[in-house]
Amino acid sequence: MTTDLSIPVSILGPQVETERQRIRQQFENGESAWETLRVLCQLADQNIQRVFGQVVRAHNFDQQGLCILALGGYGRRFLFPYSDLDILFLFGNEKAESEARSLIEQFSRTLWDMGFRVSSAGRTIDECKRIEEGNAEFHLALLDRRFLAGDSGLFEKLNTRVLPGSERQARPFLLGQLHKLTEERLTRYGNTIFHLEPNVKESPGGMRDYQAAVWLRQIVSDKTRAITAAEEELASDAVNFLSAIRCFLHYKNGRNDNTLTYELQSEAAARSLGVRDGSARTPEQWMRLYFRQARMLNRLLLRYMEYKPLSQQTLRQRIFGAAKAVKAEPSNGKPYVVRDGFLEILDIHSLSNHTVTFSLFVEAARTGVPLGRETERQIAYMLTHPELPVRNAQMSWEEFKEILGSDYPGLALRPMQRLGLLTEILPEFGIIDSLVVRDFYHRYTVDEHSLRTIEHLQELSNSTDELGAKFSPLWKAVEQRELLVFSLLLHDIGKGMAAEAHVAGSLEALETAAARLGLSPEEKAEVHFLIERHLEMSATMQRRDIFDPGTVSTFAGMVATQERLQRLCLLTYGDIHAVNPEALTPWKAEMLWRLYVAASNHFSRTLDTDRLHISDELALREQLRALVAVTGTSDIERFLEGFPRRYLAVHSQSEITTQFSLYRQLAADPVQTELIASRHAYSLTLLTADRPALFATIAGTLASWGMNIVKADAFANSAGVVLDTFHFVDLHRTFELNPSEIDRFRKNLTNIIRGTAALEPLLKSREYASRLRVPKVEVITKIIFDEESSVHSTLLEIVTQDRPGLLYDIGSALARLECNIEVALIDTEGQKAIDVFYLTEQDKKLTPQKQKSLQEALQSVLG
Amino acid sequence: MMKIEAVIQPSRFESVKDALREIGIEGLTVTEVRGHGRQKGHTEVYRGREYTVDLLPKIKLEMVLLDNLVERAVDTILKTAKTGKIGDGKIFITRVEEAIRIRNEERGENAL
Repeated sequence: MTTDLSIPVSILGPQVETERQRIRQQFENGESAWETLRVLCQLADQNIQRVFGQVVRAHNFDQQGLCILALGGYGRRFLFPYSDLDILFLFGNEKAESEARSLIEQFSRTLWDMGFRVSSAGRTIDECKRIEEGNAEFHLALLDRRFLAGDSGLFEKLNTRVLPGSERQARPFLLGQLHKLTEERLTRYGNTIFHLEPNVKESPGGMRDYQAAVWLRQIVSDKTRAITAAEEELASDAVNFLSAIRCFLHYKNGRNDNTLTYELQSEAAARSLGVRDGSARTPEQWMRLYFRQARMLNRLLLRYMEYKPLSQQTLRQRIFGAAKAVKAEPSNGKPYVVRDGFLEILDIHSLSNHTVTFSLFVEAARTGVPLGRETERQIAYMLTHPELPVRNAQMSWEEFKEILGSDYPGLALRPMQRLGLLTEILPEFGIIDSLVVRDFYHRYTVDEHSLRTIEHLQELSNSTDELGAKFSPLWKAVEQRELLVFSLLLHDIGKGMAAEAHVAGSLEALETAAARLGLSPEEKAEVHFLIERHLEMSATMQRRDIFDPGTVSTFAGMVATQERLQRLCLLTYGDIHAVNPEALTPWKAEMLWRLYVAASNHFSRTLDTDRLHISDELALREQLRALVAVTGTSDIERFLEGFPRRYLAVHSQSEITTQFSLYRQLAADPVQTELIASRHAYSLTLLTADRPALFATIAGTLASWGMNIVKADAFANSAGVVLDTFHFVDLHRTFELNPSEIDRFRKNLTNIIRGTAALEPLLKSREYASRLRVPKVEVITKIIFDEESSVHSTLLEIVTQDRPGLLYDIGSALARLECNIEVALIDTEGQKAIDVFYLTEQDKKLTPQKQKSLQEALQSVLG
Repeated sequence: MMKIEAVIQPSRFESVKDALREIGIEGLTVTEVRGHGRQKGHTEVYRGREYTVDLLPKIKLEMVLLDNLVERAVDTILKTAKTGKIGDGKIFITRVEEAIRIRNEERGENAL
C-alpha cells in the first residue's frame, strides 16, 4: 500500500476497498483471526494517519494541541471487518477545539467516504479529568486508549500525568458501573451461555465477557489475583476461536451482526472454523467446541466479578477494618470461613489434603453457602500441579453420598465439574461434557442440563414461586435423596454413547460407576429403576388420560412404592425444568402434580385389596428358600400369605430373608425384634402374634424412651402375625451415648408387649418434657374417614401436628374403641404427621356411630 | 378459508397430530389450556389438603385450511380424539377473511 498523502479520496477509497477484499480473501483461505484483526487494524491506522495528515495540510492547521486516539476494541487492536472505529479527538484547550471543528468534519466525512464507520468523541484534556457519571462506557473505553496521530506530547500528558490519577480516584465508580453494565447484559441474555443462536459478542461467554474481565483486572490491578499463564493461554485460545467466528459472521452478513444463526452454525462447522486441524465437523461437534470456549470466558468473567466495588477509606479505617476482619474469622479449627457469603479457605496448604477439599464441597452442599471463586482457584492450583504432594485423593462413595443427599447438592457439584473433580469421581460424566443436542427444544448441552436438573430441585429447598411450591415438601422429605441426585447425574449419559436408545447407554454407565464407587445392590437397583424409567412419568402425564383410574393403577404398579414415586416425580420435575427455561409450564407442572397425587392416593387407599398370594409368587418363594436354606416351602408360604403387596415393595430381599428368620424363631420366643442404626435414624422391626393395642404399645414404648417416630408400617399376614416397622429418631442421643441402653430397650419393649412390665409409669416421666416443646409451625388437625377406597376396611387419615407420643395417643384411642388396625402407614413431613389406618371392627368396616365416637375421641386427644 | 379450533384431551394429542399430518396438514398452532365444559371438576384430597380440580388440562389446536380440506380435517380429529367419555372436547369452525404471510406479505390462500 502506498503512503503518498496527496492521493485524493476518489482513488484512495477503491484502494482501501481492494485491500479489504484481499484481507477477506485471506481469511476465507484460512488465515487466522489474530492476523486478520491485525491487518484490519493496520489498514485503519494507516488511513487515519494519512487522511489526518492531508486535512491538516489542507487546513494549514498547527497540530500542536490536537491528537487522535483509538479507544475501546479498536484501541486494543480488536477491529472486526464491520466494527465501528471508536476514536477520540483530544484537544489541549477549548480554543484548539473550536479551531479544529471544520478540520474534524472533513476528516470524518473523508473516512466515511472510504468505507470506515467512524464513531468519534471530542474532549479537552481538562474534560478528561472529570468523571461523567452518565457515561461510564466512555471512561471504560478510555482504558484502552492508543495514540494514532497528531500531537504526541499531548497524548503523553494525558497518558502519564492526567489519567493515572483520575482513574485511580474513579476506581470505585468504574468498578460499580462495570458491575452494573455487565450484570444488566448478562441478565438480558438470561445469565446463560446456552443460546440456540448465541450472539458471540454480547451473550454470556462472548467477547464482551473477556473484555469486561480484562477491564475488571485493569481497574483493580490486584497483583495477588493476577491471571495465571495457564488461564491466559486458555483465554487466548477462546478469544481466537470467537474472533474467527466474529470475522466470519461480519463477512457473511455484510454488517456488524454477531448472531451465530442456526444456518451459519452449519456452515462454520463444515469448514471447521477456528479449529486448527481444519477437518469438517457436524454442527453438534462444532457447537460443542463453541460452548467449551464460551464457558471458559464466562468463568473468567465471573471470577473477576467477585471483586466488589471499592469504597473510599481513610488509612485509619483501613487499619481498623483489617483488624476487625482478622477477628471475624472464627477459630473453630475448620480450615475455612464464611466471608461475604462465600466459603473461603484460610490456608491454601491445607488443600494438599483432599479430605479438606472434599469437606468444603460437603459444607457448601449442606449449608447452601457457595465456594468463593478464589477458593475454587486455589483448589484448581493444587489440582493442576501434580508435583505438589497430595493426601487422601480419593473421594469415597460415602463422602460423595453426603454431598448428593444434602439440601444443596448443586452448590458442590457445579464447582466440582468446573474443577474436573466430578469427572475424576465419575468419569462417565465426561462423556457428555459440552455435548450439544441440536434441536429447538433442548437449550442446554447435556452436562449443563444434567446439573440444572439438580439445581432446579435444590431451589425447592427455599421455593417461594407458585410452580415449585407444591413440590417443595417432596424435596425436603424425599428419602434416599442421594440416589435421586445420582440418577440425575447419570440419566442422560447415554446421549454421548453409541447406544441406539440413550437409556441403555446411561444404564451401561451406571454399571461401571456402581462397581467402581461400591454402591450396594439395593442402591444400584434403585438408581437403575430411576434411570430406566426416567421418561415414564412425563410420558404418562402427557400421553395418557391421568383421570382414568386404569392409567393411575398401571402407573402406580410400575412405580411400586410411595417413596419411589416421590423420587420419580422430583426427577421428572427437574428433568423437564432443565430442558429450557420455558419447558416446565404451569400446565405441565399441574399435570405432573395431579399424576403424583393420584398415584400417591392409589398407594395409600388400595393396600388391603392388593394382598400377596403365595401361589402367584412361586419365584419369590424359591429365591427365599435358597437364601434361608430351608428344605420345605410351607413355612415361607405361611409367612408371606396375606401381607399387602407393599410389603414386597418396601423391603429388600435381604430384609425379607432376615424377617423370615425372625418369623421362624417365633415358636421359641413369641416377640422377635431387630434394631438397625442408619445414618440419621433407627429402624425397629417387630414380629409377634396380633393382639389388642399392640401398635399403641410399641409406639408408647418408643415414646417413653424419648424416641420420635418419623415413619412406620404395620402389616399382618393371613395367619395373624404382625410385622411392624418403626423408623425413629433418637432425640436425646440415648443409644449413641449409651450403647448398652439398646439391649435394655429391647428387653423393656419385649416385656411390655408380653405384659410383664408396665408402660404407664414410663410415659408419665416423659410427659412433662414433651409438654415444654412449642411447635414451630402450626398444623391444623384433620380427621378424614374414607368408606370408598377399600372393600374390607374403613380408611382413617389423620393429618396433625407431630409431637413425641402422638402415635401412642392415636393407637390407644383406636384400641380403646376396639378398632383393629389392618394396615398402618405413618409418615411425617417436617412437623406435620400424616397417618393412614385401615380399620375394622370384628372383621367389618366401622359403623357410622363408631366413626363418630372415634372422631370425638381423636379430637380430644389431638386438640 | 376456514379456521378450525379443536379442544382435545392431552392424551389424544399425539394421535391427532400424527393423523392430521397423514392427510397433509402440518401447520397448526398448539396451546396448553385449562377449562371445563359439561365435564365439571372434582375435589382431590392429598395429605389432608383438598385440591379443587375445576379446570381440567386440555390441548387446543388451531389451524386455518382451504375450504375443501375442512371436512377431512374434522373427520380425522373426530376419529382420533374420541374416547366416548365426557371431556373429549369440542371443535369450532369459523370463516377466515384474510391471511397474510408476514415474511413476504403474500395474501390469501397463498399465505397458508
